[in-house]
Amino acid sequence: MIPASGSTGTGTQTLTATINPIGSLTAPASANLTSVGTTFQPFTGSFAVTYKARTTPVGGGSITLNVSSDFSPSGGPSAAGGALAYTCSAATLGTACSGSQTASTTVQTPVLTLPASACTGGGGACSSQNPNSVNLSFTLTDSPAYATGTYSAKVTFTISAT
Amino acid sequence: MRRYVTIVACCLLALTGLAQAQNTTSLSVVVGPEAALTVTTGTTNLSTASTTFGNPYTGTTSLTYQVRTTKSTGSGSITLKITTDFSGTGGPSVGTPPSTGDALTYTCTVSTPGTACTGSQTASLTTATAFATFVAGANSTKAGNSASASWSLTDDPVYATGTYAATATFTISAS
Repeated sequence: MIPASGSTGTGTQTLTATINPIGSLTAPASANLTSVGTTFQPFTGSFAVTYKARTTPVGGGSITLNVSSDFSPSGGPSAAGGALAYTCSAATLGTACSGSQTASTTVQTPVLTLPASACTGGGGACSSQNPNSVNLSFTLTDSPAYATGTYSAKVTFTISAT
Repeated sequence: MRRYVTIVACCLLALTGLAQAQNTTSLSVVVGPEAALTVTTGTTNLSTASTTFGNPYTGTTSLTYQVRTTKSTGSGSITLKITTDFSGTGGPSVGTPPSTGDALTYTCTVSTPGTACTGSQTASLTTATAFATFVAGANSTKAGNSASASWSLTDDPVYATGTYAATATFTISAS
């Protein structure tokens, strides 16, 4: 409403921002597992997963993986049968999984754990790297029972932060 | 108004409770033909129960093989060759038998998916001889399948007494 005679008015607005825990990650669209040349030794392949994360002072987080689509076509390797394993290393934020992990088609298996108050980039209390990364090395059993051919599986990585 | 505020508080809690994101990688592997074998008998002793030249020296060498041949178009084989003739002089010899008819021969026993050689084969110092064959799409078990060679060495009176040793090499291939 406009005053009948000249005057000014002021108003205040309180601005609030809630900084939530958040995580994002990037994995390569594809990766090849190859033979080292010795007969019936495992196929191997490695790549890095990059991620950004922020956890609360009382929270934490994780990166897990799951074989969301087993090797196809049939007649070859099977993650459901325990043929695919991996190790994790060189995490730049958080702690990489320990030892060899068997990838599963039914449960999430660990890649990395994030502590409370973790944050990507900026240095100080946060990591100096942005994004952060963790290396994964996969091994796939080579069995004579596999039929020859090309097989593909899908691995889904999930980052969670609280 | 009170109900409205309650709903907002509920949603904020949900938003701050857990954040999740996903990404997917496709893993690919090319499985090609491969083959390997292990001779499980360290040393095969050829012996005879006869004391009157009535029977040859015999013995058995066992081995385990792993094989994977290409579907539809592949094949494979196991061959053997005498890579070192019987040592010493005056004894048996694969390369230069002292008498006509002297020979080191063998028969083959091969579990599926292999097909054993047929009949008695004469081992050679110069040529790899047949032991087993594999058809297209042949797959052994992961642990390997069994096979064995049953040897027979002529007992010739002209052999000088003594101990003689030769080396037989088995070769497996797959395509």
